[in-house]
Amino acid sequence: MSPNLAVTVAIVVLLVDVLLFVALIVLKTYHRRRVRRHDERRNRYIQVLSKHLAFEHAVDPIPPEAGEDEAFIDAVIDLRNTLTGVEVRKLSVIANRYDLIERQSKRLRNKLLVTRRLRAAVSLAELGNDQSARVLMDHLDDRVAEVRIQAARGLARIGYTPAIDRIVDRLESEDPWVRARFGDSLATFGPQATQPLMVYVRVNHAAGDIQAVVQAITTLSVIGDHSVGPQLAEVLERSTRPEVQIAAVGALGSVGGSHSLDSLLKALHAEDWRVRAKAATSLGMIGDPAAAHPLAAALEDEAWWVRRNSAAALARMAGGTQLLYRALTSPDMFARDAAAEALEDVGGLARARQRHEEGSATEDERRLLRHMRTVRALSA
Amino acid sequence: MTVRKRILLADDSNVVTTILATSLQKEGFDVEIAFDGQTAFELGRDGEFDLAVLDQMMPGLLGLEVIEQWHEAGVVFPVLILTAVADETMAVQSIQLGAADFVRKPFHLPELIARIRSRLV
Repeated sequence: MSPNLAVTVAIVVLLVDVLLFVALIVLKTYHRRRVRRHDERRNRYIQVLSKHLAFEHAVDPIPPEAGEDEAFIDAVIDLRNTLTGVEVRKLSVIANRYDLIERQSKRLRNKLLVTRRLRAAVSLAELGNDQSARVLMDHLDDRVAEVRIQAARGLARIGYTPAIDRIVDRLESEDPWVRARFGDSLATFGPQATQPLMVYVRVNHAAGDIQAVVQAITTLSVIGDHSVGPQLAEVLERSTRPEVQIAAVGALGSVGGSHSLDSLLKALHAEDWRVRAKAATSLGMIGDPAAAHPLAAALEDEAWWVRRNSAAALARMAGGTQLLYRALTSPDMFARDAAAEALEDVGGLARARQRHEEGSATEDERRLLRHMRTVRALSA
Repeated sequence: MTVRKRILLADDSNVVTTILATSLQKEGFDVEIAFDGQTAFELGRDGEFDLAVLDQMMPGLLGLEVIEQWHEAGVVFPVLILTAVADETMAVQSIQLGAADFVRKPFHLPELIARIRSRLV
């Protein structure tokens, strides 16, 4: 390349860089102004809408074109999220007067502009009423994952129960992150989603999509409806898949009840150590003293996680700390370690040290201090 | 001539302050607004208010911290705490600090106004 050509190329590259830099600044300035104007309009709309809510016959006009303005929609949504009761109904009347649902539905149906479609889906989810529910139902199988998520979220916010089965059915065809968000939406429905989820689990636990079944059980756990205890116990009994067993054991801890207790005590002897470890944690969540002695026995389990979780469960259970102190005399070194760690976690060690200094430590506390000194000496 | 009651309203959300101030003004109250805890503390310390509505989660000082600092400064008037994240511990803490009431967001506007009115009778 000749020196002249090289200089020309360098100048052109420099000019292009400068142009791009200027374009970037112009775009940023434009965007910042746009956001500022949007916020100003939104604040004005909030003021006007507040007057319409506070005064029976407010005279401040809302311009007819407000329905097309994103700032107006944001103002309505912000007020809806701040208030409950009769004011929300008043806002719905205003939203209908300005065709907000119809306008957002049209935007959502637009095939090209993904950002606008997503914004429309979020608005419909936030503005939710029966009219928007019908539109959101149509978009539960939208090609854009974020739109599907917003559709499910909006339907759950509205409490549109016909959507529950559709959302449950979609669990197995979604990516993990979409599935998790669908789970959140189903949990928002609360106990109304319990039976559809339970039916799905019962039908699919043996051969269905494992991740979808686990998600369904996890959602049941979040809902925490006691009535599913016996059915979850049955799934735990019948399932041969450890992932399903672990999820079921976790959910039984959340829903509680006598069925749960019996099944979890049984699961404490499961073949898979992960199931046993989870069962120990769930028994701790239920906190029934009937589980205390089986958990004390599990301190000698061959798996470290089972010993650790059993000790942690005992530490939060009535009468459990007594058993942990007793485990310090166990011939099993691992059981002693697990018990001592759990006692340390709940402040037993600090208490023992203080009482030792005051000369009032009990025999159990002295034993804990001796055990900790031995452990430290061995690890030093 | 009746003297209009003065209310200090502190919340970092302009949605809450706008709707609440509009409704309280309609009810015949004078309303002063703060958007952060420090300003709320200073307004409460230096002005004469009949009641304050404080958001718990504000920049600067939390609602409960504002109450504490008012106590230290010898400022006494009824305070309503407004919060989106409310648990029992916080409710107990609010009452221990002398808050007159505790309202969760989202709130029912007529009910909140009625609670404010009942404290000012």
